[in-house]
Amino acid sequence: MDQSAALDAAPVASAPASLAGGPPGGAARARSGPVGFFLAVLRARPMFAVGYIIVLLMIFAALLAPWLAPYNPVTAAPDDYLQPPNALHWLGTDATGMDILSRILYAPRVDLTIAILGTLISSAIGAPLGAIVGYYEGRSAWRRALSVLVMRAADVLQAFPVFVFAIALVAVFGQSLASIIAAIAFVNIPIYLRLMRSQVLSIRGMRYVEAAFVAGASDVAILRRHIIPNAIAPALAQLSVSVGWSVLLTSGLSFVGAGVVAPTPEWGSMIATGFQNVTTGQWWPSVFPGIALGIAVFGFALVGSSIEVLADPAQRRLVGVKHAAG
Amino acid sequence: MGLVRYIGRRLLFVAPQLLGIIMVSFFLVKLIPGDPAVLMMGPNASQQALDELREKLGLTLPLPQQFLHYIVNVVHGDLGTSWQTTRPVLDDLMDRFPATLELVTLALLVALLIGIPLGIVAAGRSRGPIRKLADVYGLLAGAIPDFWLALVFIYIFYSTLHIAPAPLGRLDLEVVAPPIVTGSMLLDSLIAGDFDALWSSASHLMLPVMTLGLVNAGPILKMTQSTVERTLSSDFIRYAEMCGLPKRTVMRQAVRASLPSIITIVSVLYGFLIGGAVLVEIVFSWGGAGQYAVQGVLNADLNPVLGFVLFSAVFSLVVYLFVDLLYFVLDPRTRG
Amino acid sequence: MADFQPATETAPLLRVEHLRVSYQSFESAAVPALRDIDLTIAPGEMVGLVGESGAGKTTLARSIMGLVPRPGRIDSGRIEFRGQVMAELPDEERRAILGRHLAMVIPNPRSELNPVLTVGQQISNVVRAHSKLGAAEARQTALRMLEAVRIPDPGRRLNAYPHELSGGMAQRVVIAVALACEPSFVISDDATSGLDVTVQAQVLELLQDMVRSRGASALFITRDIAITAHFCDRIAIIYAGEIVEIADTAAFFDRPAHPYSIMLLAAFSHSGDLRRRWTRTEIAVNGSAAGCAFAPRCVRRQPRCEAEHPALRTTHSGHAVRCHFPVEG
Repeated sequence: MDQSAALDAAPVASAPASLAGGPPGGAARARSGPVGFFLAVLRARPMFAVGYIIVLLMIFAALLAPWLAPYNPVTAAPDDYLQPPNALHWLGTDATGMDILSRILYAPRVDLTIAILGTLISSAIGAPLGAIVGYYEGRSAWRRALSVLVMRAADVLQAFPVFVFAIALVAVFGQSLASIIAAIAFVNIPIYLRLMRSQVLSIRGMRYVEAAFVAGASDVAILRRHIIPNAIAPALAQLSVSVGWSVLLTSGLSFVGAGVVAPTPEWGSMIATGFQNVTTGQWWPSVFPGIALGIAVFGFALVGSSIEVLADPAQRRLVGVKHAAG
Repeated sequence: MGLVRYIGRRLLFVAPQLLGIIMVSFFLVKLIPGDPAVLMMGPNASQQALDELREKLGLTLPLPQQFLHYIVNVVHGDLGTSWQTTRPVLDDLMDRFPATLELVTLALLVALLIGIPLGIVAAGRSRGPIRKLADVYGLLAGAIPDFWLALVFIYIFYSTLHIAPAPLGRLDLEVVAPPIVTGSMLLDSLIAGDFDALWSSASHLMLPVMTLGLVNAGPILKMTQSTVERTLSSDFIRYAEMCGLPKRTVMRQAVRASLPSIITIVSVLYGFLIGGAVLVEIVFSWGGAGQYAVQGVLNADLNPVLGFVLFSAVFSLVVYLFVDLLYFVLDPRTRG
Repeated sequence: MADFQPATETAPLLRVEHLRVSYQSFESAAVPALRDIDLTIAPGEMVGLVGESGAGKTTLARSIMGLVPRPGRIDSGRIEFRGQVMAELPDEERRAILGRHLAMVIPNPRSELNPVLTVGQQISNVVRAHSKLGAAEARQTALRMLEAVRIPDPGRRLNAYPHELSGGMAQRVVIAVALACEPSFVISDDATSGLDVTVQAQVLELLQDMVRSRGASALFITRDIAITAHFCDRIAIIYAGEIVEIADTAAFFDRPAHPYSIMLLAAFSHSGDLRRRWTRTEIAVNGSAAGCAFAPRCVRRQPRCEAEHPALRTTHSGHAVRCHFPVEG
């Protein structure tokens, strides 16, 4: 039994225990640093590793598409239209003769760009706003009024049918990459707003925050030094989940024709253009991009849930613990 | 008496929210580029005719005044006219909303039948095949685009196996629709005693309902599982275990205590699906309300979009109100 | 270890032998919660278990019931209740014993009673789980139990929800639940710690009366050594997951032998002098894992205490003490 564990167990009056016991990760650091710990987590939960591999593969595909893709993704070859999967076109060709594998490999460039940028923008706006709203709630009158106003606005935005709202936003800004990103960012803002607000509300009442307040620290300093670092974990976990969800939304927009325009390789619009062929039995133009899309979202969801576990000390400690009988 | 006050307070919050929703959607849709007058009369219309039409539609008034007119009309039950169908939006929606509602309601039932039992069983164990199945299902259902799954089902059941009808609407072309009573094709066929229509509508419902049901079972499963799991580690369940209550009783208590959260997610999902089913509606040419709204947005047809947003908001609010009533029944603490 | 058992003819009701329980952690080494616990309780006997928070009292209670909370694990040792090893029982058989023969009185009952069931339902649920009584008879039992725990207007309280009860009343309800099936052994886990001092005394007295009048055994777990003095037959002191002293109540209060026991008693003393004498102000941080767990806080610490782990042994006065230098005489 090592020393820190012994002291942890000893019910010694709090002072020495907190001095000697140190952070609960004490022994984990013995496992060759944070990298070693991370690898140990992946060993205990292989599904998480699958998630990280998927996300890395998607990023690789986006970066290396020109070298990986066997054909130009936007060159039509009318003679080769609707070829089923074969040796030349591993995943077949679509109605205009474009190579499906090449288009799938290029697609993350558009899909991930939209999803990642949209997510980053929405969290960059929503999270600080949520922190401020949560912090101001129950303070002086005008601040409370402000926070109530923001929350009611979020209620209204969330009462909209998300999809119709997103299409309308794209319609307003005109159909471009920037406006799709803006629409995705906009519909995601309330999620971060709420997440951060509820975290901050629960942390604001803590003694150490009150102590800082009594000591005369400014609001900005309290938020920056005490509240945000302690409240940020769930928002971080949400980031990856949002990216996956935004990929789905982007493809949905493209599917109805309000997203990425046709020849640009994008999973959703590929599924949409293959739609007519499916009813006549040519499944490959739609099915393969859908699988790629599903795998991508699946990967981001797994990474999100791994972050959720790793960011929560209580869950983190249980990761590899076998369920004890009795 | 507590109940009436409770509902009254809810309704007090509802009115400003509804107004906010209409306001945002009104100005948002107004910002969509495109001149309805040009779209209605075609590119060859004379300038004078266009001006007259704009005048008639009230498009020359300042925006706040247009909004006020719209609100007054809405209060009188006039949601305006769609230039695409040239019919009053209220009539269009009355035709289309039941189609969406039938689809979404059945899909939600399927999702509940899959998600809740699987979630409860998976919450009771921390490993084993059922738990694995639930974990993978939850992640997969969240990752699969519903419109893609719809296409896969069409390929399998229509193009290949020929068991499902063509994805074109709610009935076979040669079948005459039963007289409208409830708006639900299934119920109306039953009421009319028209078994051809019943069979036809059921077979048309099969694939879209399966698609939406399977995909939306995911969130229900996850919510059920995590809530029941959390309840199972709560103080009063631990106490029930200490009292040696049979496992079934303990499980029943845990599920009972988790019901409010499960009902909440189901109600949110119900409201979401009204607009969220639109992609599946498009794939199956369902002719539902969501599809109508999307067509409206894409063609600068203002009134259908506003009407749809209003309809789905009111629908969500009604669902939430109903949920509040359920809470009132379920939790003695809210009655205090 | 047999030498500190009470002289009884009958077989013990509960026998805990060399019990070791630890909490597993992915990030660090397992944290021991109970280390080598030996404890025997005879039929009709009441034992007080005293220790500060974190000493392992609740873990011991949960282990006895076979419900060690995750990620805890019984590493070694055995627990026998009525001759059966609880940890080896199949789930259904364990449930049949809990609440029926082995009942628990919990602290903070207002958060541990099911919020959506009435008091009557909660009592009769337990009664019906352990008997063949029908709904009406179980309700009658519930009413009788509410009368027995002296709740005013029991007929009305039967239909009350937990949030409508005062803390003292909820505590009485929990006692009613525990004793409804006439168990032979009752564990009270810090049951009165959340109550006002005056209510605390009444509830304790009630609990003691009900246990005694039914001839049941009890394990009274508490942080407050004073309340054990009145009605326990024996007192066990637990520190850092080890029993450091166990003795008959009279003998214990007469001549406590372990420095920690004396420190606990001194804390209640009116003599500030006594308190200061037995409480170490500068606590050694460098406690060694090999030595006595209490050494860092002990006023009588010797070099041997830090080098060698003391075993539980019997003193002249009949106490079992885990100390190299017990206070004798």
